[in-house]
Formats: sequence, C-alpha cells, structure tokens
Amino acid sequence: MGVKRALAIAGVGGQGQITLATILGQALVRKGYNVRGGEVHGLSQRGGSVVVFVKYGRGILSPIVTEGEADVLVGLEIIETLRRVPLLSPSGVLIVNDFFLPPPASKPVNREDLKKALKSLGLKTILLNANELAVKAGSPISSNIVMLGALIGSKTVDLSLEEVSSVLSERFKGKTLEVNMNALKMGYDYVSSRGSI
Amino acid sequence: MPKSTIEGSPGEVKLLLGNEAIARGALEAGISIATAYPGTPSTEIVETLAEVGERYGVYVEWSVNEKVALEVAIGGSMMGLRALTAMKHVGVNVASDSLMSLGYAGALGGLVIVTADDPSAHSSQNEQDNRIYGIHSYIPVFEPASPQEAKDMTRDLFDLSEKYETAVFLRTTTRLAHSRGEVKLGELVKLERKPAFHRDPERWCCLPPYDLVSHQKALDRVRRLEEDLSGFKYNWVEEGSKELAIVASGASYAYVKEAVERLNINPTIFKLSSTFPLPRKLAIQALNFERVLVVEELEPVVEDRLKVIAYEEGLKAQIFGKNLIPRVRELSTPIVASAISKIAGVPYSPPTPVRISLELPARPPVLCAGCPHRATYYAVKLAVARSRIKPVYTNDIGCYSLGFYPPFNTADVMWCMGASLGIGSGIAKFSQDPVVAFIGDSTFYHAGIPGLINAVYNNIPLLVVVMDNGITAMTGHQPHPGSGYGPAGEPRQVIKIEDLARAAGVGFVEVVDAYNINEVRDVAERAIRYVRENKRPAVVISRRPCALIELRRKRSRGEEIVPYFIDQEKCIKCGVCVDKFSCPAIVREGDRILILPDVCVGCGVCASICPAKAIRPVKSVTG
Repeated sequence: MGVKRALAIAGVGGQGQITLATILGQALVRKGYNVRGGEVHGLSQRGGSVVVFVKYGRGILSPIVTEGEADVLVGLEIIETLRRVPLLSPSGVLIVNDFFLPPPASKPVNREDLKKALKSLGLKTILLNANELAVKAGSPISSNIVMLGALIGSKTVDLSLEEVSSVLSERFKGKTLEVNMNALKMGYDYVSSRGSI
Repeated sequence: MPKSTIEGSPGEVKLLLGNEAIARGALEAGISIATAYPGTPSTEIVETLAEVGERYGVYVEWSVNEKVALEVAIGGSMMGLRALTAMKHVGVNVASDSLMSLGYAGALGGLVIVTADDPSAHSSQNEQDNRIYGIHSYIPVFEPASPQEAKDMTRDLFDLSEKYETAVFLRTTTRLAHSRGEVKLGELVKLERKPAFHRDPERWCCLPPYDLVSHQKALDRVRRLEEDLSGFKYNWVEEGSKELAIVASGASYAYVKEAVERLNINPTIFKLSSTFPLPRKLAIQALNFERVLVVEELEPVVEDRLKVIAYEEGLKAQIFGKNLIPRVRELSTPIVASAISKIAGVPYSPPTPVRISLELPARPPVLCAGCPHRATYYAVKLAVARSRIKPVYTNDIGCYSLGFYPPFNTADVMWCMGASLGIGSGIAKFSQDPVVAFIGDSTFYHAGIPGLINAVYNNIPLLVVVMDNGITAMTGHQPHPGSGYGPAGEPRQVIKIEDLARAAGVGFVEVVDAYNINEVRDVAERAIRYVRENKRPAVVISRRPCALIELRRKRSRGEEIVPYFIDQEKCIKCGVCVDKFSCPAIVREGDRILILPDVCVGCGVCASICPAKAIRPVKSVTG
C-alpha cells in the first residue's frame, strides 16, 4: 500500500456519502493516519450530483482528488459513477452500486447502455446491488453502509472490518446500529466471497 | 445531552470539519459570544457552538443578518468579553458599514470575524476575495491551512486581538470550511470575566475629530503588526533550493506541498498565514531569492504587496503569481504543479484520466419532493397566465433560487439578499406589467423589509410573494425570527411576516397555504389585480413548513408517510405532473409516468393538479 491513498465517493445528494466518508475518515484517524476529507455542500444538498473525497497517508494532504488521482471510486448510483470515472487512475478500482436513478425531467437514458459503458472501461470493477442488500440488512437507507462494507472487503483501504465496526458502534445506537452492522457485514461478505479482484 | 463532535479531552485526536475545528478553537479561547446569520460555507461554526453553548457559558445567537451579527459581537467586545462572529464572504458586504468603523475603533475583548470565502462560487453569487476587506478596514487577515491550524489559530487570534486591541479576520475558503481532517484537541479555558462596559466615548463614538485620531491609530497598529507578524508562529520558512521561493497562503499551502512532491523538486517554501499586513521581514527574506512564485487563490493580494515592498526596498527579485496562477476559480494540485513546472523548468504531465464516451444526463439540484416552493411557483404561474400579464420575475437567495430552472423559469433577476424587492421596484416603476418578486422568509427578515417599506412609500406596482417555509432551509435549517424557537430549540416569540407587512402599510396582505394550488392561484390573481389597479405593492405569503422538516417531524412522531401512485388506467399521459410540476418523485419510464414511492413524501399536491384525477395515495390515511 502506497504512502498516500485517494478515494472518491460519488452519488446523488441524500444517499449518505458524507456519512460513509466520515466513518471511513474516523477509522483512519484512529489508525494514526493523516486524513483529509473534502465535500461540497450548498446547492447540491439534495438530489444533486455529489462527490466526496477521502485522502489518507502521512504528511500534508490537500482536500480534493483531481482527475486520474483516485485509487478507488465508490459509486452509489450508476450515472453518478460514470460522471466521476475521470477521477479514477487507470489502475484504480471501481466499486459500484447497481442502482439507477435518472434525474427528473432529463433526456431518457438506458440503464443497460450505462452498464455496458461501465464494463467497456476495462477497469477492475466490483458491481453489487447495495440497495437490495440494505433491505435485507433491515433498512433501504443503509445502502451507503453496504458500500462501505464492500470497500473494506475489496482490501483497497488499510482498514479491517473490526476497525470500521468499532466506529459504527460509537456512532449509532439500538436498532440503527444493528441494521448498519448487518449492512456493513453484507457488503463485506459479498465482496470478500468473490476472492481477489 | 449527547456529546457534540467538538467535545473531548485535551490530547484526543478527532476528525473534524474545518468549521467544527474553528468552533472548538473558540471554546478553547474561552469565548462568551458567538453570532451569525447562516451562510454557506460558514454555517457549521455557530451551529456547532449552538449545540454546546449553554454548557460552556457561551451566548449564541442566530442574528437577523450579518450586520447585526457583527454589531452584537462588537457590543460584547466592548463589555470586555471574547466574541466570534462568522459569515460567508458576501455576508461581510452586509456587515461592511459596521466593519469600517470597527477598523478605526478596534476591539476590547478579543473579536474574531470569520469570513468564509467561496472560490469557484460553489454556493454563492460571486467569488469575491475578502482579504481585500482587511486592507480596506485595517483589520488584519489570517488564513489557516488545515483543520488543525484552523482550531489552533482561532484560539490564538483571540489573544492577538486583545494584545493589539483590534478585531481580526480569520479567512477560510470552502475547501477548508468543508473539509475534514484530524485535529488534536487542546485545553478548554474558562476566563470568568465579569462583563463591564468600558466607557470611552472618544473611541466608541465615530465622530469628527476623534475619528481622525482613530484613523491614525489604526494605521500605527497595522504598521506594528507588519513588523511583529514576521514572528507569528503560523508563518514559517521551509529551506530548500536557493533559486526559487514559493510563497503559499492558506489552503494553497497543501496544493504547493503536493505539487512539489509530484514534480520531485525542492524549492524554498514560505508558508504564510498572515496575509494582511504582510510581514515585512519575511517578505524581504523571500525577495532575496532570484525568483518568487506567489500561490494564492483569487486576487493577487500577497503578490501585489510583495511588489510594493520590493520597490520600497530596492530588491530585484522576479515576482510571479497571477501570470501563472488563475485568478478565477479555486486552485488544485495539478494547477499549482503546472505553474511551478513552468518556472522551475521541469516537465509536468498530469495523470491521464479514464474517459467515457457516453453523454450523461445533467443532474442540477432540484427542489425536494414535497417542497412547498414548487407548489407556489406552479400556482403563481397559473395566476399570471389568467391575468394575461408577462411580468418580470425577480428572485432572491434561498432554496427557491432553483425556480431559475425549467419548468418554472421564475427568475429573470437574481442578485443578492433582498434585491428582489429593490431591483424589482426599479423595474416595476417603468414596466408595462407588475413585477413579481419572490423572496423567502429568512431573506425577508434579513434584507427584504427596507425594500418593502420603500415600495409602499414610493407607490411601486410590485407583487411580493414571500415563500415562507418557517426556517432558513438552504443552509440546513437554522431558526429565524419567524420560526418560534431559538438556536438550542428553546421557544421564542414569533414575529409574523404578515404583521410586518401590514405595519409597513401594505394594503393587500394575504396568507395562503402553499399546498393549496387553487387558493394560491386565486389570491395571487387578486393581488395582481390590486397591484395593477392601485399601482401599489401587494404581499402574498405562501406558507408551509419545509418538506424536509415536516418529514423529520413525522418520522419522530412515528407517523406513517403514505406515498401516492398514478392509476395507469386513468392516466391520460398529459404530462402536467412530470413536465409542468416536475417533482423528483415523478418520472417517466418508457411511455408510462410513475411515482417513485421511496422519494414521494405524500404531500398530495400532484393529485390536486392532475386533470384526469389519476393520482391517489397508495392507501387511505387513517386518523
């Protein structure tokens, strides 16, 4: 693992990217890394295109990930994943939620065309249905945590399942904690059961 | 009370947002007052302090606007207490009248003004560089480079403010304010100061000839700081090659560090945190290099000052800056690396990104499902069509600014807080049809009232539609004088917009339910008639709580949210719901129009506008 790792998390505003990035960042800080997480609020708070960055390593880090810099791109929605693909380094890993949410009042796009485009990139790609797993875990809104589990399962970040679970258990309580723990495990198991990528 | 993100024991390392770090720094300095009007990217500073204020004896207020916020903080400083006020860059424009006098009179208790600038204008009407306000007002400007530094510097600036008896600017940018980083917490200090008014009319009354004395004092203060700040602990020099010096201020420092690492070169780096006044000794040290590159976002503030000092000191260094570094938009590591590569004479090839050939649909931000503003726009446009007028629409700053986009197109002019009324009046005085001005509740209290009084006094044919969702929504739901509660949720008196409008002498004031399309349409139509016949302003207040707040309330009460659906047998595919009303919960799939049950919040407005009566709740609501 290099000195510095850069991750980008793309999705639609409201999908919980910031929560995902914050949990990731907290676990990395606890591990002694320097961490910078960037995000843009404001007009894109709800329903807009949102991308969040997490960088970690040693020394001084800038808060943004620029084109070709990301080691990992976590996409919570297919269109938004494709939009942010230029951030990814050609040797990077793509982890995508197979969830399609076309913007309202836009030109119609075909889901299968998008998935074909995704495959044609020739990148190391993990595709999973996090929304489906989230429902199984107990709540459809835990899909971001399923994706966090998938990220940890992909072994592209220097964090173990236990290290992330311990942050979750401090952040959430009761039923929410239970659902999120399930979600994390489901994402993790889905990816680790597929072997190496 | 649950622990806030900024609470913890000294020495603990936490992941904090830049804004949270500033809030923590203020607590560590033992502040007594924190004031703000919310504005991206500054809001979380006072929002975080509001959560903990009571526990630490800090008076926290959401002020009606930035001018008042600054004035309350100044008053606190005159009482010998430490005060923080935070605002977005354009908020300082609103506060600037008080600011200029503050620059002369100075502060007593430590006074830190956070100006959160927004290079790239991510959520603002411009990308003005507020370091220039520092120069203009003689108030020193400090720029932290990381969340840790933001916390430490905030704490230390209160000491500096008191030592030099001046207010100080802490200037952040979106990238610092809204980025997270590890922050090692320090000790919390309780100062136990007894508030006492420091009577000094010659200082606090900005009158001639005393103001001329204050002016000289301010200049002397700046001169003194120009000498002393060379030793400021957040300025330093990282020794490297003798040929090239790079001066990096604030957030640019991280870009410079990453860039020189990518280029694999070793220039001398001047890490600068006090940008105004520029410390003279440090400047001379940099100017002794043959070539100096200044890396700063937006305006050439440091660069220009360096050029002046070079001239005054007779130094011949070649100074580079805005000839290589763009003045528009925020910087990034590749932009900075490319600039450095040019003067360092080393090649730089940015990484080749993966490209996709497919054209993706844009995803502009939209009004939320159930947003009352959508219903108001829809209904007012119906009223306009019925009245057979072609009005100019002026609009204002808030979530409702999204009316700019199709299908509503209800923004021909959008300027700054409150300008929908002022500029709207100027247009209305000379236009054939009345002007329709849209303004939100929070913006109305902030800057709309003078424009309304002006419109009444000067007989302006203006229809003012106040889109009242009860809260400052866009910045994340901070309460205002109409919300009925204060920063910590405690009950407060409601100051009603209709009472203010009537008191201002408006002859037509009506309150409608934003969700009731027919009511809003009919009242707006009558208001338009009133404006045309009387050549005087009318006010329609379209009221409904913010849909997100309502959803949160329903969830916490355990109330069921019943989504609507479109009965495909009855649907005539006219497209009114999807194209004219344009709720994000309503989508086309193939030739069908559907409601996404996960997105629908069950407001039911679409059902009321469906000409075929094809939209119904998925089940009947009980109770």
